[in-house]
Amino acid sequence: MEEQFLFSLITGISIGGVAGYLGSLMITKRMALVGDALGHVALPGVALALIYGFSVSLGAFPILLLGIILIWLFEMRTKLPMEALTGVVFTASVAIAFLLLPESQVSTALIGDISQVGFWDTLVSLIFCIVTWLILWKIFSKIILANLSENLAKVEHVKVERYNFVYLICIAIVVALGIKVTGSLLMGAMVVTPAAAARNFARNLSQYSYGALIIGGLSCALGILAFKFFALPAGPLIILVATLLFLISLIFKKLT
Amino acid sequence: MAEPILKVRNLNVDLGKEKVIEDLDFDLNEKEVLIILGPNGAGKSVLLRTLLGLHQFQGQIQWKKNTHIGYVPESFDVSPDLPLSVKEFFQFKKASLQEMLQALRWIGVENFSKFLEKRVGALSTGQLRRAIIAWALVDKPDVLLLDEPMLGVDIHGRETIYDTLVKLWQEQNQAIILVSHEIGEVVKKADKILAINRRKLFLGPPEKVITSQNLAKIYGGAISL
Repeated sequence: MEEQFLFSLITGISIGGVAGYLGSLMITKRMALVGDALGHVALPGVALALIYGFSVSLGAFPILLLGIILIWLFEMRTKLPMEALTGVVFTASVAIAFLLLPESQVSTALIGDISQVGFWDTLVSLIFCIVTWLILWKIFSKIILANLSENLAKVEHVKVERYNFVYLICIAIVVALGIKVTGSLLMGAMVVTPAAAARNFARNLSQYSYGALIIGGLSCALGILAFKFFALPAGPLIILVATLLFLISLIFKKLT
Repeated sequence: MAEPILKVRNLNVDLGKEKVIEDLDFDLNEKEVLIILGPNGAGKSVLLRTLLGLHQFQGQIQWKKNTHIGYVPESFDVSPDLPLSVKEFFQFKKASLQEMLQALRWIGVENFSKFLEKRVGALSTGQLRRAIIAWALVDKPDVLLLDEPMLGVDIHGRETIYDTLVKLWQEQNQAIILVSHEIGEVVKKADKILAINRRKLFLGPPEKVITSQNLAKIYGGAISL
């Protein structure tokens, strides 16, 4: 197996896995579309990265943080619903990005490209994925408990605000990583679809979260293999594999 | 007499501009069962949450040092399709299997293994309420705070919760504060009754304070127990 292909596989599987795991939390917290919106928010950063030739994730992350802070500030000031403000911020981001983005780079920005990832890029992605997963694993039960009853969590000495903040940062990291694989347009599916599939067959929380992790990683592996054989873009193939796995999971839905 | 586990003095709580609790004083002694009565909207749940440190207040709330509190909230909504098993729910508290079984025995669960594998969201209202009581008990708190444990539970479920509670206070391993908007059999088993409607209406042992005159203060009509 050639080196380049191996790098793509490692990058894809690790990002797909952690995105799936995160997605199981996001669906539980009814934040399924947040990944999608943030994928768009990051676009100006992606555009800058493509123009100046540095890592897409590196470009996306600061813009994501900026976007999240803006949404948060607007919410404090206006008390409008969060999704309305997210709508304002993400469409503005898309507009800015399209003024910057050279036409030849549009498809990379929108549907991703991991066919060219190098050794260092792969290593950094892998490390970020593992660290982010460890953090998520650590805060998982606290976030779920706070979601069931915030008061109960507080009585159990869970610092709800602090955990929510860490959780948001993890979302920003995963979205920034995921954009590299499936682009801004498809990033949302990397967190939602594997977790939705896992939810169809899971009987408990560990089946759910690890199921999502495995389905996320598997979708990326199969998608990248398909890309190798059909020479079609990897991003859409990954998402279609995930969707197929979701359809298969429907069979289990009635049985549980 | 030993130092009380909880001392409340001159407690005032405002929510927004509204005064919800005014000038409240009471004590809770160790292993004592205190029932807080009052009509809907009297500030009972707010009082409980204030004692737990969930609301701002003026005055004094003093828990004895290192008091470990268990809490059974009034509302606890679990989406029926959330794949969270009862066992995992108990593991949030790092409970061992043995501790879980002991807690489940408290609430009268017989088929342990089946119950532990069940989804929390698939439990009936009564089962869920009992499971949360068990959850609150699993790490052996010094004091247990229950907010309307009977609310929304059918007659049969009420009986089992009632049995659970009575068993609890017969054993008397912990102090209990129970909030209820209705008077029932449970009231007679308490050591102390505190009735509030924003302010203290009356406080004392049930045999002394549960009089039709006093009940009229809470509910405004002629009721007897």
